[in-house]
Amino acid sequence: MSPSIDIDGRFENLRQELRRGSLPLAVLAALRTEHYGYTLRKTLADHGMAIDEGTLYPLLRRLETQGLLVSQWREEDKRNKRFYRLSPDGKLILKQLLIEWKSIHASLEDIF
Amino acid sequence: MELVDRYLHAVKFWLPRKQKDDIIAELSEDLRSQIEEKESEIGHKLTDAEVEPILKRCGNPMAVAGRYVPQQWLIGPTLFPIYRVIIQSLFLYFLLPWMLVWMGIAIFSPDFRADHPGAALFASLKPWWLACTYSLFFNTLAFALLDRSPMRSHVVNDWNPRTLPAVRDPNRISRGATIFELTVVVSTLAVWVQLDPFHRAFHFFGLTLTLSHQWPYFIWAFTALSGAGIAISCLNLSQPRWTRLSASLRLGVDVYSLGVVYLLCRANLLQSLTGSDLSSAEAATVVGTVNSWLAGFAIWVIAVGVAVVVFDVRRILRTAPVQ
Repeated sequence: MSPSIDIDGRFENLRQELRRGSLPLAVLAALRTEHYGYTLRKTLADHGMAIDEGTLYPLLRRLETQGLLVSQWREEDKRNKRFYRLSPDGKLILKQLLIEWKSIHASLEDIF
Repeated sequence: MELVDRYLHAVKFWLPRKQKDDIIAELSEDLRSQIEEKESEIGHKLTDAEVEPILKRCGNPMAVAGRYVPQQWLIGPTLFPIYRVIIQSLFLYFLLPWMLVWMGIAIFSPDFRADHPGAALFASLKPWWLACTYSLFFNTLAFALLDRSPMRSHVVNDWNPRTLPAVRDPNRISRGATIFELTVVVSTLAVWVQLDPFHRAFHFFGLTLTLSHQWPYFIWAFTALSGAGIAISCLNLSQPRWTRLSASLRLGVDVYSLGVVYLLCRANLLQSLTGSDLSSAEAATVVGTVNSWLAGFAIWVIAVGVAVVVFDVRRILRTAPVQ
């Protein structure tokens, strides 16, 4: 393995780790507006946070199990779709997470 | 859409029973939305070849299903390092030596091969396989149960920096051990030098035991060995750290002593046995049995020798090279 490929591989691993850590925050923030899975993915992708379905749906289920999201099956365009939105607890947690995120961002800026 | 149905069916197989339908309905909706969007882009129904990359990108059905299941393990990351050390030790200090001894016996003992012809030779390894299987099974079971029991939190949380083992310097030579070694070697030598090397007949309980004509060589060899042992012990007392020189000397002495013991085992040391109550045929049987028993012991000397040499070489390698 050449050094450049190795560096690329390591960079990719760390990049994915960094993004994976930010995904719950991005999903919670996007779900201030109600979405079903596919439109949520498109919204996130439009904002530069592309996420594959194999990652998004298990994450949505986990957040729902934790009581941060509520979901509802509804028919739209003659197809059943599951719509997600923030629960009241989710709104509170999102607020706290955003404060934490800004604090981390400020700390990193300070370190850089 | 047959490919999509096959894909969803494959994912469904691996999902938890209660969530199967719900998850598949949602995933199906997502895939069909992607396909519809693509169809509206290109203006025709997607062919199987065009659907395939969408499904490939979605991921292996088993991996996709796996993300919906909470992470599970038999032995968690907290206890796994202890489990690994125990299994490694079991293999290195028990199963591997057992296998090496078995190989040594199978290779060097014609009697053993004669007793276990053909497939029976490998069938003689059955106890080893059983030991492997049982030890692995019961250790894994014990750790899996421990990981799920309240004792796990005691293992993890009940610790104190003061009770951790002291850092051991692997190159330090214990003075106590050296003094003990020196005492044993000097005592042995004291007895040894009183033996007449050319005296080969010994009398016990009315029996006369005559040793082989090679016996004097062994006397001199053991005397030289004791002298070398004393020299190394003195060196270790004056400089209680392994250096490349002292570790190499130790290797040399160990190889020499193992070689002498091996030759002693194979030397048909007992030449004859006579006694008033013993017929010549009985005496010959006893002599043959003792010599054969000693010869059989040679394989164990090789097994121990290999372990000792590996240990000694590792000691040489971890000491700093001579500048």
